[in-house]
Order: sequence, then structure tokens, then C-alpha cells
Amino acid sequence: MLAADVSGTPRVVAANAAAEADGIRIGETIADARAKSASPAESLQESLQVRAANPAADDAALRRLALWATRYTPAVAPFDEKSGADGLFLDIAGAAHLFGGEAKLLADLGERLARFGLPARLAAAATAGAAWALARFRTSTTILAAGEERAALAPLPIEALRLSSDTLRTLRRLGFRRVGALIDNPRAPFAARFERELLRRIDQALGCTGEPLNYILPPPVYHSLRYLMEPVAAQEAVVAIAQRLMCDIVHALARDGVGARTLRLALYRVDGGVQTLDIALTRGTRSAPHVARLIALKLERNGEISADTLDAGFGFEAVGLAVTTAERVDATQAELVDDGGTAGGDAQASERCAELIDGLAQRLGPGSVQRLAPVASHLPERAETAFAANAEGAVWAAPDAARPRPLLLFAQAEPAEVMAQVPEGPPRRFRWRGVLHAVAKAQGPERIAAEWWRSGTDAPTRDYYLVEDDAGRRFWLFREGLFARETTTPRWFVHGLFA
Amino acid sequence: MSSSPLPVQGRNRAAIVAELRRLLPRLESVGAARALPFGLADFDAHLPQGGLTVGALHEVAPHQHGDTPATFGFLAALMARFAPSSRPVLLIAPAHVFAEHGRPHGHGLQHLGLDPARLILVETRNEKQALWAMEEALRSAVPAAVGGVVARLDLKASQRLQLTAGEAGLPLLLLRPAAAHVPAKWSPVRRQGHAPINEDASAAATRWRIGAAEAARDRFGLVTHTRWNVRLERCRNGRPGDWLVEFDHAAYRFSLAAALADPALSRGAGAPQFLRRTG
Repeated sequence: MLAADVSGTPRVVAANAAAEADGIRIGETIADARAKSASPAESLQESLQVRAANPAADDAALRRLALWATRYTPAVAPFDEKSGADGLFLDIAGAAHLFGGEAKLLADLGERLARFGLPARLAAAATAGAAWALARFRTSTTILAAGEERAALAPLPIEALRLSSDTLRTLRRLGFRRVGALIDNPRAPFAARFERELLRRIDQALGCTGEPLNYILPPPVYHSLRYLMEPVAAQEAVVAIAQRLMCDIVHALARDGVGARTLRLALYRVDGGVQTLDIALTRGTRSAPHVARLIALKLERNGEISADTLDAGFGFEAVGLAVTTAERVDATQAELVDDGGTAGGDAQASERCAELIDGLAQRLGPGSVQRLAPVASHLPERAETAFAANAEGAVWAAPDAARPRPLLLFAQAEPAEVMAQVPEGPPRRFRWRGVLHAVAKAQGPERIAAEWWRSGTDAPTRDYYLVEDDAGRRFWLFREGLFARETTTPRWFVHGLFA
Repeated sequence: MSSSPLPVQGRNRAAIVAELRRLLPRLESVGAARALPFGLADFDAHLPQGGLTVGALHEVAPHQHGDTPATFGFLAALMARFAPSSRPVLLIAPAHVFAEHGRPHGHGLQHLGLDPARLILVETRNEKQALWAMEEALRSAVPAAVGGVVARLDLKASQRLQLTAGEAGLPLLLLRPAAAHVPAKWSPVRRQGHAPINEDASAAATRWRIGAAEAARDRFGLVTHTRWNVRLERCRNGRPGDWLVEFDHAAYRFSLAAALADPALSRGAGAPQFLRRTG
């Protein structure tokens, strides 16, 4: 059940079938609803579930449903506020025959919606107003032939005309209950007393005037497909064709002010198979040579993984390039003279950096080009993460001179055999990776306790030492576990190496 | 050439040599190459044009296998010095190098003067891909400096990298790790405790060999400055040398610890302000 704050108290906005069976109606307060639904056996919380209404999310979901519904017809309009914002208009004028008739189309639509879990009421009529009224106020799916709107609408209550609440209240006070009463009476007195809205709605429902609907525009799709005169199998040819396809798409992208962020190259083979290649970029691009270069690198990489770069069979007869994700790209002013180091070429420099990262990532594989970002954590192995590089880097705070950190850190600290004074002495000698080191100087300890809020059990505390051996090499050792407080046999590890 | 060549009869030997000395560097290098000075008079005197050539290949190798972190620190400090701008710095290495020596740690890089926000780490599957990535990065002219870790490099590949770096005008710093020390009873050839040193011919402009050294400490025994034993093994148009170099964390500057320095260096009241002597 959904609740929203109306006139100061939370009221019921929507209820499901079980709630309605209990007697809860839309518009009453939550307190009343709880009282109605509470039964002596169960507790209040279990029986009634109340969630806050989220009209924005509802609108977005309705839009998505409308986009899905374009499979039936390109003209789909979600209901606007006045019509209730909980349904769709579909103009099936020229589309019904494709589904075998209007009845079959409605049946198909109802079945698919039911499979989504959305019980729907459907109706088809010659005018939008009549269809809306029939869908709302008739229990079964109806298909109305043209010319029968008057007879069909007459028995419906006046809410079927989508009037404002003031008009409805006035009409009820005057004694009008059914639409039939409104239609049969002469129109002039209505025009005098009510706004034009009433007459407009009646005319729209009967088909005397048209009703403009706000059809949604599906998001633009940028793609280009070329059929080749002769099948093509060579890699260079495929790359050249892809570049020309990208040139075709660039005009549409530039017109809309977007750049391609991920692309899909589809290669259709003569024998019917399809091969696809997905290219991802760090930022939207409109540059055809850059995309062609990335495709060539990706093919090279595929050639490394499997023996054959392009499994062409007898050749490709059609090549298609589609932009799967587009991103807003602001036009930047290009410099007349490309001087690499000046501040004026900043935008160009970051664009070139993105192109370099793209090229390296395509050839070397995903996850091979990374940047470091600091993480607020005491544990050194968690103090930074690597993320897939883009043109900008993270921001790092200034280093702390009192806490030396090694230049190279092992992802997994390596165990070492250390001789140190018990309980808390610095290491004197240690053996690591088979080599024995004698410690000349040790600096520390720096105590780093485990992050108790992360793990349920208490992980052991670490005491870090910066040790220097006779040869001048510096290591970062830690003792894990405090003697006699956490463990009787503390273990030693080498975690990093200093310069 | 600005001047006309002298007639053959009128030339004497000294004049010919002087002419060649004037012409050869210009013919060899690609235009007037920029050089980045270290700020140490002794250092820069050994290097051509008074500093590290910016558009060239420089190789850094550890003295022994255990000196690899020190070598990497020297490399990172050098990379930080080149073009202190906001341009990114690339580090390219095969994945097994990170597995063996550890990954670069951002907080540790800050102590050496390299802002980790500028660093882009590229991990490749093998060395061939690493060389390709280095060439790509140099040709794109995007980074301020490119660092790489490559164990085997033949003459042709190193010449190619040197040419690409020269054309792009960007420094390429290569770390040549030594193979791990094999215990004597396993190795077919007995070695004296030194790891096999990469003695391949290379077209690098400078070759350095770095060894770890004891750090400078303050009176409490805390490490204040890192120190390295730096040896310039080979330098084109320069002189080899051997120094104990101290790196200032706070000011991100190199300075000489006078232990191995020239006795002539201990005089010099007119030394510029950024030079500090220790010991």
C-alpha cells in the first residue's frame, strides 16, 4: 500500500487487491487503514505494509513501459496528470492487422502485461476519450466499433469524461449521474454555466473533435549498416569499412551533441553467422580514425587470444556499426597550433590522454591500465585502490612524514622468520625468501590495529617496523598479534620495500 | 652548416678535430635536445649538455637483485623531476614484475616526490607488449615521462625506443632488473655473489647502476633522507662517475653526500644555495 502526505496526514494513495478486500479505500488516512486491517491474531506490522509513494519513480517506470509498448505501434502516449498517470494510449490505426486483428493485439498485450506482473484493463475504441472511459469503467476488455461511442458511454458515470473535480462536484449537485444525461441534453446551457472543458471532453469522447496526444519519442539510435558488393575477409578491409560507417554516424552524433561511448560492430557472414565486437571508451568520441584504430587493436588482441583474428568463414557480406551508449560531449575549441605543453591545449591534452588510454586498454585487455586512488583505511593493503584509468586522477592528501610508507607493497604480506626480543622488541635478524638479513637499525613500532567495525572477530594488531640491514636495504616488517594479549606466538611478515 | 669547409691544403690536424667536435653532436642528436639538470654541479659536469637529455632513453639497473627497490626509487624520483606539470606519468611493466617485487604504493610514491594522481599504471602480459605500450605512449606525446621495466632488450629494440623518444621529445626511463640470485649449488656457473648483470649492447643515452645505501638519520634514529650509491656507467658524450646521492623528501631534491665526493667539492664557498653537503 502506498501512502502520501495529503493535507497534513498520510493518506492511502494506492492499495492492492488484498487491501481492498479488507475494506481499505483510497483517500482515507493510514490510521483508519491500519485499524481496518488489524486482526487480533497477527501484529500490526505484519498485516499492513505501507510505503511512501514515489511519483517520480512511477513516471519513469511508466515511460519505460511506454517504450516497451512501441513494439506494437510507434505512437504511444503515457497518460498525463489529468488522465490519472497510470496507463498508456496506443494508436493502433495501422498496426492492428500485423497482429491478426485488434482482438488478438489486445489479448497479446494483456497477456504480456500479466506476465510482467501488471494486471491491466484494456479497451479499444475509435476515440481516445471513449477508450479511456471503457478501460476504466468496464471490467472486461472491450473493443468498440466506430460510431457506437454514444451508446457505449451513456451508462457510464460522469467520471468517465476526465473532468476536473470542481466540475464533477457541480454536476453531481445538479443531479447528473451518468454521461448519457449530459449527452442527451442540449448543449447551450452547459456552455453558459461550465467552462469549455465539459463540452470539449464530450466532443472528444464522441469523436467530434480530435484529441492531440503527446506521443513519446524513443531515444535516438545511431547506427549504420552497409551491404558489401563482395564478401570481405581481410582485417584491414573490415577496419576501413568500420571507419566509413563511423563517418556516417558522426553527422547524427554531432547534430545531437553527443559522442559514442560504447560501440558494437556487427559482422554478418555469408553463411548466416554474426560476429560482434564491443568497443568501450573512456569518454565519448566523434572521431572516426580513433574508433577505427581501436577496432584494429581489438582485432589484434583477439588474434592473440584465439589463433584466428576474424573467423570470417566465406567472408562478411554486411557490416553494421551501432552506438550502444552515447554520452554528452561538449564541443571544445580546437587550438590552431598544437603546442603540447601549453595550458591552452588543456582540453586537447586530456582528449589525447583518453585516446592513449583507450588504445592501450583495447590492446592489452580490460583492467590493464589503472590509476591509484586513496582509501581512508588504516590497513596499508586497503589504503589505496586501483581503478580503470580515465583522463583524470584522484586527489591525494599530503603525505605524513611521521608515518613512512614503503615504495613497493605486496598484496599479500610474505611471512618471514624473525628473531626479536620477546615481548615487544624490534627485529634483530630475519630470513625472507631464503636470504638471511642482519638488522642494523630498526625504526618503529607503528601500531596499526585491525578495523574492528569491519570484521566480527578481533583481527590481531600489527606493529610495523622500518628495518635497515647491513647493505642499506630497507624493509617494512610487522609483527602480527600482541604477545600475551592476543596470541602467544606472534608471527612476522614482510609487507613492503622502501627505496 | 653555417660555415664553409676549409680547403684541404690549409687545414692542420687540430683544426680538423675542432671542426669535427663542433659538428658531430649536432649531426648525432635530433635538433637541440633539452636537458634537465640535477642541480648538482658535480653531477651535471659528467652529463652532456649539463643534464639528463629529455628526449632519450635512459637505463637504470640495480647492482644486485636486492637493490631493485632502491633502483625503482631512483627511477620514480627521476620521473617526478621531469616536467613538474599536471601531465600524466606512465609506468609500464609486465605482470610478473609486480608479483615479484610488489606493486607501487601511492603513499610511498608521495615521499619520493611523484604525485600518485599523475601516475598511470599499465600492466602487460609479457615484455613484447610492454615494449609496444612504451612506443605507443611515447608517440602519443601525452605523458611527461614514461617508465618501464624490461629485463631483456636487444640492440634493435633499444635503438627503436631511443629514436621514438628522441622524436617525441620525452624521456623513457627503463629499469633493467637483474635475475634473482640463484644459490651456488643450483647454478651451473658459480657466481661470486653478484647477480648476472645485463651487459647487452644498448643504444641508451645514459646507463646508471644503483645500489642501496644507509639512510641519513636524525639524532633520534629516524630516517630523514634516502641515500643511494649511484654510478653512471655509460654516458654518451659524457663521463662516468660514482656518487653517494641523498634525496631530500621534503624539498624533492638531490644532493651529494660527500663520502665519495671529489675533494675539490669540499671547497667552493660560491656554491649555489640549493646544494647541500652532508657528512
